[in-house]
Amino acid sequence: MATREASKHATKIVRPLLSSDKSEAKKRVLNLYKTYYRQIPLMLFDRHLPVTKEECQQKLKEEFLKNKHVTDVRVIDMLVIKGQMLLQEIVTKWAQDCHVMSLFKDTVEHKQNDFLSKFINSNDSQ
Amino acid sequence: MAVRVITKIFQQSNYLGLHKGTTQTFCLPNFILNRPRFQSTEVPKETRPTVRTTNDLVKKNLSDFGRYVAECLPKYVQKVQIATGDELEILIAPDGVLPVLQFLKDHHNCQFSNLADLCAVDVPQRSNRFEIVYNLLSVRFNSRIRVKTYTDELTPIDSSTSIFEAANWYEREIWDMYGVFFSNHPDLRRILTDYGFEGHPFRKDFPLSGYVEVRYDDDKKRVVVEPLEMAQEFRRFELSTPWEQFPNFRNSAPPTEEIPLNKEEK
Repeated sequence: MATREASKHATKIVRPLLSSDKSEAKKRVLNLYKTYYRQIPLMLFDRHLPVTKEECQQKLKEEFLKNKHVTDVRVIDMLVIKGQMLLQEIVTKWAQDCHVMSLFKDTVEHKQNDFLSKFINSNDSQ
Repeated sequence: MAVRVITKIFQQSNYLGLHKGTTQTFCLPNFILNRPRFQSTEVPKETRPTVRTTNDLVKKNLSDFGRYVAECLPKYVQKVQIATGDELEILIAPDGVLPVLQFLKDHHNCQFSNLADLCAVDVPQRSNRFEIVYNLLSVRFNSRIRVKTYTDELTPIDSSTSIFEAANWYEREIWDMYGVFFSNHPDLRRILTDYGFEGHPFRKDFPLSGYVEVRYDDDKKRVVVEPLEMAQEFRRFELSTPWEQFPNFRNSAPPTEEIPLNKEEK
């Protein structure tokens, strides 16, 4: 019974989002990466951002590698779609400087996770 | 002059029934006391029921029409039901969104030419957690119909903008709020949330407080986005509405009545 259920689950035909197989999804990801990479100098020319080109490239790589573990083609497609939308917002200047800079998270304090610093930083009065 | 006025008033009060005289306690004339506002405050018992009555003829017409639609589109229509007495609902497979909407818009006996509303419902318990609801209006026949379909986070739904232009912004809203992707949409992008916003706020697993907070930073001279930090005492949320009107019916689904379809004959 369990195996039958499992086989049913394995052979479930799903509707593809954009790509029909993994190589196509990979092509889309690389395309998106290249488009972003080429957009960086233009973006820095257009806007007054307190970051260098190298920092932007580093950030771009970091953002893509954040989803390195994803293997499902449809999830990759969904991430590509969201990436394309963000690129469109940056290129058309719908997103302002603060929205672009929010990707860098330069005001977020890195919190230490060991017991003592947690204890010292805790403000909970209850 | 004043004396004449006072005597006049006394005369009139005598005519009106105020014959007790000035030394007695003041009393209003009977024709005023008989008015409803001076009678007791007891409210007469309401005998008519306050629930909406349903017309059997209307219901029969609707169920006949639902059966007719199901016979015309046997591949896509899964279930036909009548909700709350007189609202016809057609439950279809997600593949059949375009054919069903095209049929309902263009068929001579339907002519639902107006997309009144298009929205989604999130029910995380189901395997297909999102329910997409199309509300259509037929101006020709003065009737409404509701078409429901389902999807999950990753399955795309065909965009109905080729049939109803009005669906454009509604589908953008569903994409933004629930993350349901509409394929072949001409301009699918965010519509309500801020640029750079992550997540889909109308999903049931999205927290009420959100994940980030936004403030103006004086040093950076711009608006910054930071992860939300809340003190313990602010982490408790009272989610139930204080104006709940029908607590006895809190968990009951709307009364739906399924119309039996004869699926065998094809």
